[in-house]
Amino acid sequence: MGILSTLLLIPLLGAVAIALVPSQYHKAIKWLAILFSGVTFVASLGLINQFESGTFHMQLVEKAEWLPQLGIGYHVGIDGLSFWMVLLTTLLMLLSLIFSVYVEKRAGAYFGMMLLLETAMLGVFMSLDLVLFYTFFELSLIPMFVLIAIWGGANRKYASKKFFIMTLAASVFMLIGIVAMAKHYAATTGVWSFDLVAIQAAVADGSFWAGAMQLQPIIFWSFALALMVKCPMFPFHTWLPDAHTEAPTAGSIILAGVLLKMGTYGFLRFLLPLFPESSRDFASLFMILAVIGIIYGAIVAAMQTDIKKLVAYSSVSHMGFVVLGIFSLNHSGLMGGAYQQLNHGISTGALFLMIGLIYERIHTRAFKDLGGLKAQMPIYAALFLIVMLSSVGLPGTNGFIGEFLALIGSFQTGAAGLYGIHWILPVLAGLGVILAAVYLLIMFQKTFYGPITNDKLKRLKDLKGWEIGLVGVFVLFIFWGGLYPNTFLKPLEKSIAAARMMAINDGGQRPSWAEPTHEISDSGDLMRVAERTETGGWHEDYPGELVAKANHHFLATEIAVELPGPEEMGHGDDHGDDHGDDHSEEGDDHAEEEEEH
Amino acid sequence: MDFLKTLDPSWSFLILFLPLFGSIVWALLGGTMVKNLGKTAGQRIIGIGATAFVLIAAVLAGGYALQLSEGAIFEPVLIFDWISLQNISIPFELRIDSLSVTMAMVVAGIGGLIHWYAAGYMWEDKEFSRFFTYLNLFIAFMLLLVMGNNLAMLFIGWEGVGVCSYLLIGFWYKDKANSKAANKAFIANRIGDFGLTLGLFYLVYILAGNLTALGIEESRWLSYDVFLPHAETIFATFRFETTIICLLLFVGAMGKSAQFPLYVWLPDAMAGPTPVSALIHAATMVTSGVVLLTRMAPLFAQAPIAMSIVALIGAITALLGALIAFGQTDIKKVLAYSTVSQLGYMFIACGVGAAWAGMFHVVTHAFFKALLFLCSGSVIYAMAHNQDMRNYGGLWKKLPITTILMTIGFLALIGAPFLFAGWYSKEAIIGAAMGGGTTYQIESLGISFGELAGIIGLIAAFCTAFYMTRQMWLTFMGKGRWLEIEPAHHDHPHHEEALPAAPAHDAHRFFMSDDEMKALPHEEEHHHDLDKSHEPKEVPVSMWMPLALLAVASTWLLAKPMNSHFQEWITGHEPEVHHGGLLSHEQLIPVAIGVFLLGLGIGIYWYRKGLPKAEGWDMKAWSKFRRSALNQFGIDSVFTDGSSAAGRGLGKFLTWIDVNLVDGLVNGIGVLSKGIGGALRSPQNRGLVRQYAVLMHLGAALLIVLAILKLGVFN
Repeated sequence: MGILSTLLLIPLLGAVAIALVPSQYHKAIKWLAILFSGVTFVASLGLINQFESGTFHMQLVEKAEWLPQLGIGYHVGIDGLSFWMVLLTTLLMLLSLIFSVYVEKRAGAYFGMMLLLETAMLGVFMSLDLVLFYTFFELSLIPMFVLIAIWGGANRKYASKKFFIMTLAASVFMLIGIVAMAKHYAATTGVWSFDLVAIQAAVADGSFWAGAMQLQPIIFWSFALALMVKCPMFPFHTWLPDAHTEAPTAGSIILAGVLLKMGTYGFLRFLLPLFPESSRDFASLFMILAVIGIIYGAIVAAMQTDIKKLVAYSSVSHMGFVVLGIFSLNHSGLMGGAYQQLNHGISTGALFLMIGLIYERIHTRAFKDLGGLKAQMPIYAALFLIVMLSSVGLPGTNGFIGEFLALIGSFQTGAAGLYGIHWILPVLAGLGVILAAVYLLIMFQKTFYGPITNDKLKRLKDLKGWEIGLVGVFVLFIFWGGLYPNTFLKPLEKSIAAARMMAINDGGQRPSWAEPTHEISDSGDLMRVAERTETGGWHEDYPGELVAKANHHFLATEIAVELPGPEEMGHGDDHGDDHGDDHSEEGDDHAEEEEEH
Repeated sequence: MDFLKTLDPSWSFLILFLPLFGSIVWALLGGTMVKNLGKTAGQRIIGIGATAFVLIAAVLAGGYALQLSEGAIFEPVLIFDWISLQNISIPFELRIDSLSVTMAMVVAGIGGLIHWYAAGYMWEDKEFSRFFTYLNLFIAFMLLLVMGNNLAMLFIGWEGVGVCSYLLIGFWYKDKANSKAANKAFIANRIGDFGLTLGLFYLVYILAGNLTALGIEESRWLSYDVFLPHAETIFATFRFETTIICLLLFVGAMGKSAQFPLYVWLPDAMAGPTPVSALIHAATMVTSGVVLLTRMAPLFAQAPIAMSIVALIGAITALLGALIAFGQTDIKKVLAYSTVSQLGYMFIACGVGAAWAGMFHVVTHAFFKALLFLCSGSVIYAMAHNQDMRNYGGLWKKLPITTILMTIGFLALIGAPFLFAGWYSKEAIIGAAMGGGTTYQIESLGISFGELAGIIGLIAAFCTAFYMTRQMWLTFMGKGRWLEIEPAHHDHPHHEEALPAAPAHDAHRFFMSDDEMKALPHEEEHHHDLDKSHEPKEVPVSMWMPLALLAVASTWLLAKPMNSHFQEWITGHEPEVHHGGLLSHEQLIPVAIGVFLLGLGIGIYWYRKGLPKAEGWDMKAWSKFRRSALNQFGIDSVFTDGSSAAGRGLGKFLTWIDVNLVDGLVNGIGVLSKGIGGALRSPQNRGLVRQYAVLMHLGAALLIVLAILKLGVFN
């Protein structure tokens, strides 16, 4: 059994083991859960050694037959994108289980559900078979639903139902889409297959959609709808504030850190590679919704009186940047979007952890009961400050890199007018950066500054040592991700470059996961290579045959080298306008070139 | 000295890392040191250590300056790879050139002196180590801002100093007003940063599209040394885009450097401790906009429209700041508006294409404004933290050293001829402005924007001389007005405050027990009011010593040699003699002396008898002009209150939409399906959710069957 299957199995075994322990042994159950998730985390660290970041191909692939007559198989593997999602999942799960020692109510069920959830989430990020993916996608729903419904806050019944129904209702559409994909595959090749790699290969050489272009947008939207509710995008976000607010702390961390990412991961894994034309056609619509989400989420967040609800709405805003980056279809933008997924997991996960720490103590989340905590708990305040600044997107913290790259990428696409994306969209998204400062500073002020008004707070001690250590792990990643992002960007880069070329290139020039001779060069071009290294990469010195050149979507005009004469210098006004017009035409030309490809 | 002359550029990272290291040490160990070594020893180590780190950084920067002045040229120093993607790489690298080392010396040099002063000023504060954590961190970010070799690194420093400013304005966080001022500063700066980032994005767009045409092969094309040499070629071609880029970058500079209308945060920022006002809000951080424009001067040179706007905004700010200062009664607020006004001068210089003169003023202003702020700190320290000048008067007898030092700063600020620093730099700016630069001609007036800015600058200089004379006179001359305050009788009954009730359950020991509560060090917030029994005391020598050094640097000793060499030092070419324009250099000198004497003379005449009735405690007696000057002519209320009211309105509206429309729709569907579910409910199966799930899956199965049948068309 390979490492990926092992990773799927350990938490599941843990859940079974916990089910066998009689429920009165609280301590044993907690330690067992932490042990199993710890082992999973350590095992997932093994990926770091085995993972080759020089290729976009699926690695550590495991395949087994399941329902061969229907073309359904057990097929798991990871590329750069899933590599980080797997590590994020195992890390966040371990940390939130450590925090969960505060859970007293029905510990056996709680920890069992958490471990089951871990398996489901890991499965989502590893699956290379559409049915397998869908199974894990839905499986992740149930433990989270139970976690909110049993261990949630006062309004947990309503919140859990809403979460369950909205996401389930939407994912049904995806199931239809999945079946339709397999059916269409059968129609074009004669055999049924739900295999992502096989279907993508057909999409890459252009044979899949040839003659069925009218079908593409329909199936695209059936996938998109499910993923949009999951991530969540405006206007499908309304389950999120309720679910986040009512969920137990560990649930909120996992929900924000991992579950939302299933949506944006799905965009990168399915929408761009499988539906290239639709991805381009609807990119501007996704951008518009993302920008609305960014601004709307931020403004509504600023109005909240409940600290957890504020952070929940901030997630709507922050996830907008992920979508913005992805649908900019620009390399920097996509890198930013993909990186922002990880950062949001760390920063918002940490914010929920911080809120959980204080909630365990005083059992309130209303701003009116907080205030003045800085004097009482200086270490807590300092850690909270760092986490808050990372969420604000301060340079030097991880939050900055993702947002910066996503914005810079979408601005490039917008300024060139590609895919019908208007330049005003990234500009408006930039306003979200101002608004993030507004609501997060208000939150910090209301919680920590001013005199203490609530007598309950006057006896509070500062954080315990192990709690500081727990937050410290997040703080470590906040600075690591901000100061040396290359650690995280490098493994992503080839996969992201490939995903982008799968979407914007024409059939025959798209990279294919199934084609071992396809590789992305260091400058981002798609090459055909013959010699491969043992680990699956390719020999750098081997001169590959160029399949498609990376198009960076920057303005590519030859500039006039001679300088304008001094008499022209005086009237920049008129010239300026002329230039503006020229320039936008150039942008349009460029967009047309793009279409012609 | 020899050591400095042979200093290898690879050591330049120490300039940033020493203050950063200090900050980390105080953050992690400061509290423990004070607790374990005792207050005296612990705080001494922190104060001296923090000061030393910063001063060593200044000396290192001085070493590079020495080498540069002898003709050395340094390559950028790579520290590590920050962001590197297949189409762009942004390394973390330092630039050592005349501009960066000048600023580094100013920041670390003046910063070190202010650290020294602050060690005395903050001695009694319980959070001494937190203060120096922030202060050292600020220096590190500020040095990064000036020494970084690309705009992205400048941006790290830019935001970093913003955060330190935020933390230090709100340092005394128990007062809500302070944290509000801190938020205001951060958010106003973010508005500026929005412009800065957009400018950066647009610059990236233009550059990236033309790399091949320009023959740039390096992936680190955002570095100054790679793209700035091409500025003329590329930006002359994209004139419109360059204008937009310059204006967007200038919006960023407006936020950080408090230009109209984004200046509104700076006066409120005075809520921070006085050394912070001196360091961040007078000498260093607020000049970063000027540094940015100086760095980007090759771009601005291609955008005359942008230059004209910069000059005009600078002039408006210079005059507005000076006028508002007329109505201020708080000693620090006067200096704050004076800073706003002086920053305006620096932008006039940038606007007329004499960014070097702006930098000259940055340097001289840093010395004398830091001096003025710290002296005002000494006055405030002596006057029981009362900042209202209406209570002062006659302090020269009580505080002779402070009086002498502050007078030097005062003369430097108002441009006393030949002997003081401000004279040289202000004269350089107005002289350049009178030459007009490359700004547009205003047809109806027959002068250019630059010349207009120069004239406004002269008017503002007159105002400066007047309001500063007012401040000096009200503070140091005349009779002591605090002697007229009757002591208020406070009863301080020493009663033991009842302990807050202990929580009933505390299984995890989250809360302190009664014993632990009693063992807490007793906090006594003894507040001493200013009244006639108060005896002002001069600050100790450890505090006025750094001020004396600043005072020396505020005279001709530093400024006169700079005057003759600074332009060549910054721009790399010999000063040109300006011909034409409104006033030549020779004509300007007598005019400037006249303006100085007029302002000083009228000021002395006006305030010779102490505080006039028309500026006293009875606000009704104030003239209309002065009252509106006190309220910034309504600008703050329009921008700040207006925008926050609008924001709140929008927020309420969107929240309403979210709850009633978007969510309402979802709940409506929920109610609907509940109805259907109710109709289908079987007696055994009461769980609503199970109902939904069953319903969902039935529906899904149905849809799938339909879909498969439907898709059969494609077979």
